[in-house]
Amino acid sequence: MAIDQRKVAVFAGAFVLRLVLVFLFPSLPDLLTGRVEVSTPVNSFKRLQEGLFLYTRNVSPYDGGVFHQAPLLLPLFALLPDVTQYPLPTALFFFGVDLVNAYALSTISDSGQSVKSRLHSAMRKHIRWDGASVAAWFLFNPFTIATCLARSTSVFTTSGILFAVSNAVEGNSINAMLAIGFASYLSLYPALLFVPVLLLCYDFHAEKSKQSLNTTVFVLQHTAIFLGSLTGLLAISCLITGNFWEFMSATYGFHLLVPDLTPNVGLWWYFFIEMFDSFRAFFLGVFWLHLASYAGGLTFRLRRQPLFIVSSLLGVFAIFKPYPSISDASLYLALLPLYRHLFPLMRYTFFAISALLYSSLLGPAFYHLWIYAGSGNANFFYAITLVWSLGLSILLADFLFAGLRDEWEQDHPEAQGKEVKQV
Amino acid sequence: MSDVPFILALQPRTSHGLGAQTKLRHEVMTVLSLFSLLWACIVFLWSAPAFASSDYHEQLFLQPFPQSSLLASFNFRSNTSQASFDNQHFRYFPRALGQILQHANTKELHLRFTTGRWDADSWGPRPWNGSKEGGTGVELWAWIDAPNDDEAFAKWITLTQSLSGLFCASLNFVDSTKTTRPVVSFEPTGDHPESSNLHLLHGALPGEVVCTENLTPFLKLLPCKGKTGISTLFDGHKLFDAAWQSMSVDVRPICTRQGDCTIQIEQTVDMVLDIERSKRPRSNPIPRPVPNEQLVCDTSKPYNSEDTCYPLEKVTEKDWSLSEVFGRPLNGICPLADSDGSAEYPVCIRVPHERGIFYTEGTKEFKLDDGFTRCFDLDPSKPFDLAIPEQPINIQAPLDEPILHAERTIVGHGQERGGMRIIFENPSPTAAVDFIYFESLPWFLRPYIHTLQATITGRDGLRREIPASDLVSETIFRPAIDRERGTQLELALSVPAASTVTLTYDFEKAILRYTEYPPDANRGFNVAPAVIRILNGVDSSPIYIRSTSLLLPLPTPDFSMPYNVIILTSTVIALGFGTIFNILVRRVVLVEEAEALGSQTIKGRILGKVLALRGKFGRKETKVE
Repeated sequence: MAIDQRKVAVFAGAFVLRLVLVFLFPSLPDLLTGRVEVSTPVNSFKRLQEGLFLYTRNVSPYDGGVFHQAPLLLPLFALLPDVTQYPLPTALFFFGVDLVNAYALSTISDSGQSVKSRLHSAMRKHIRWDGASVAAWFLFNPFTIATCLARSTSVFTTSGILFAVSNAVEGNSINAMLAIGFASYLSLYPALLFVPVLLLCYDFHAEKSKQSLNTTVFVLQHTAIFLGSLTGLLAISCLITGNFWEFMSATYGFHLLVPDLTPNVGLWWYFFIEMFDSFRAFFLGVFWLHLASYAGGLTFRLRRQPLFIVSSLLGVFAIFKPYPSISDASLYLALLPLYRHLFPLMRYTFFAISALLYSSLLGPAFYHLWIYAGSGNANFFYAITLVWSLGLSILLADFLFAGLRDEWEQDHPEAQGKEVKQV
Repeated sequence: MSDVPFILALQPRTSHGLGAQTKLRHEVMTVLSLFSLLWACIVFLWSAPAFASSDYHEQLFLQPFPQSSLLASFNFRSNTSQASFDNQHFRYFPRALGQILQHANTKELHLRFTTGRWDADSWGPRPWNGSKEGGTGVELWAWIDAPNDDEAFAKWITLTQSLSGLFCASLNFVDSTKTTRPVVSFEPTGDHPESSNLHLLHGALPGEVVCTENLTPFLKLLPCKGKTGISTLFDGHKLFDAAWQSMSVDVRPICTRQGDCTIQIEQTVDMVLDIERSKRPRSNPIPRPVPNEQLVCDTSKPYNSEDTCYPLEKVTEKDWSLSEVFGRPLNGICPLADSDGSAEYPVCIRVPHERGIFYTEGTKEFKLDDGFTRCFDLDPSKPFDLAIPEQPINIQAPLDEPILHAERTIVGHGQERGGMRIIFENPSPTAAVDFIYFESLPWFLRPYIHTLQATITGRDGLRREIPASDLVSETIFRPAIDRERGTQLELALSVPAASTVTLTYDFEKAILRYTEYPPDANRGFNVAPAVIRILNGVDSSPIYIRSTSLLLPLPTPDFSMPYNVIILTSTVIALGFGTIFNILVRRVVLVEEAEALGSQTIKGRILGKVLALRGKFGRKETKVE
């Protein structure tokens, strides 16, 4: 296989850029680690260090209110040298994870699954970016760079999701199930991506295999692999921590019950600060149900484009999950260029991008006014998170519309380029 | 952002006076049957000799400090035998407290009410080596006999609720988040049988304001109840006006080798009064400038003139008397106090022997051999007063140097994160100090213990950063769980001779639910003082130092707009949900098809009918015309 020179240039460029940033601004990683937009209670590197400190001293890190990340991260990071004295190995490790993620993304792009799948073939196939461009879009996105430098552990979830998808589009359905199991193990919400990834695998096998595929056996097989991988990971975690319920409640219980209301870019924190105590449990249920409802709705309606379901769901997660950070937004934005052919069909791009730019610039400023300057109050930052969520949901809705329009045009080739309406 | 201000009124708010409501809850009602009455009589007869071991002592110790301060240290101590305590035969031991202790299975109790700050630089080491002192506010620790942790905690809650009623303090707010179980910071001072399963629980309320309402029940526990004896000097106005004051109640069992046990209750009140301030009459409490003719000016100053004066420091010690400083004379001696045979005099004062002292007639003065202390044996029938005239300072009673100076502050700015800085200074040129540093932090202060760093400044005055493990020999750390328990940190440290050690660590401030903030949310939250236990040898009693309490400002949400937030967030969610599902469930059609389709729906049909009707009427109208 010939080495794609453009791809190598992109990867090397991204690596050098990160290295230069770390060397020119040595305090930048710690600064970004402390930013609420980047680090949430479930992916903060500082909390991981605290957990690691307790873990290496034989104190259970889950018997406390600080550490809520998956137990497997502990032995992994215990192998790396102490970050306060040697920050470079950890930084290089995170750079590597970023590059690996970008590689998975370019594999997805090169498979062409986004424009032509078993049940769907886009009308504007020729408008496309190649894998190197998609990887570059991901690697040079400031949100991705910030996440990487802040050493946020959500990059591992991103890896899990991207590898699940890249393996699914290449037909390695077992690996795909293992990867989605790993992602779900790390942060719970990727479990909602199980069905779309399963559809991706199914479509690939149904297209390739000569004789018809037994659907029931296929689904059962893959569900078993997914559950098996989850059980395996949980069993290893149990061996590491020694107390099953303690770590379950400190990690997944924490995701589900949202007890820590540290500000982030999402919609949950301020809502639950201001919520009346008697309604807290009710609205927790409503919010989770709301998040889960998208998985069903999108899967039904977009059955013909499983990869599109995955991308749209990642967009939904970036807006509506309990502890979102800009790393979730960066993952969603990374998947958009796979659908370069839909860009001409989008209607509110300017508005959505303006809202996102506006909120990413004003967010830190308003946070400073609230927390440090004291000249603003919590509403300042809250308002910006609303704008951010609004911008993302406009982008998401517009993108969905474009996807559905494209699907409709495949059935009505004569209507290409004409005015349409939804009834 | 618009505001909905009335929501504050809906909040259930609590005040510290509320603790009194629980007062009546734990009163024990016993109904004696005939049999038990008989039994009680037998027990009474059998245990009657035990009264012989009941005794009561009280003593007042006065020590003037430089800069016109006066330490007054009151001590009240009584013993009762274990048998009469168990049978509820209370003589000097207060019944109210005794029954609470029995009900809560509490074997040893220490309760402290403290306000102000001990100025170790001017006043030297603390009275009673700090062992009768608490952190600012209320501090309580007790050894409870219980088979397991849960039952011990249940008994502890019983104890705090009952004491809350007894002392009119908010001790009922000592819940699981404010309770810790120190491992090495406290040792029982009493003698407990090996077999008992004791649990130490510790709670602190740094925000509690100690006041007269706590003094009154404290006095009621005394046998003479503030009517006679040294306790007559307690006046809430003077006591709580002191620069520093600490009230303590300690109950502990003391056993002999033979196994005869007595229960000892010791109550102390220590206060440092500013003599100048205390001498102001209550009718005219406003300080006034010294009249010009009484000013002693530094004439060597070039600007010294008729109307410009640089006041010189006084070379004489202030005159004062008991009745001036405390507002009243001492009313005789408590007739219940044992005066026979014991070497304890009711009033002692530590001033140089050459210092002149006037006292009431009929009082006997004893000068002790140390050259500074003298004691007085009072005439029980007469009120006692003691006066010290103004006199030039020739010699002063020496003050010892404290073994360790400790200071704790919050550093950093902003409401998001901060750091804790603890400075230990060992003044001794030769000996290192080993001690235990105990800190209990509220759960909303999240320490990052991996950031613990130490710097040391040695004799050479150079600051060096060293690994914290070089100084800390043992760490006991129990991280906080949100809304369940606070952080507990115990460090066994050693500070080398003539060095200053600074420990720092980072912490994060949690943002709370808006109902969890007190009404004065922007004042900040109190963090309990750190307790330092100095270990200087095995046999000697431990020395305790407490840091000041800290005020922690937390980020606050906007309290006035929960409705607005619920509405705005819901709107954004509804907008996202509505748009996405609208796109998902609708069909895509061409614009021209949409018009044709429109006529087939119910709405289209009705609209068509209406249009047709309007057409008909319109034609009719034209016909009429």
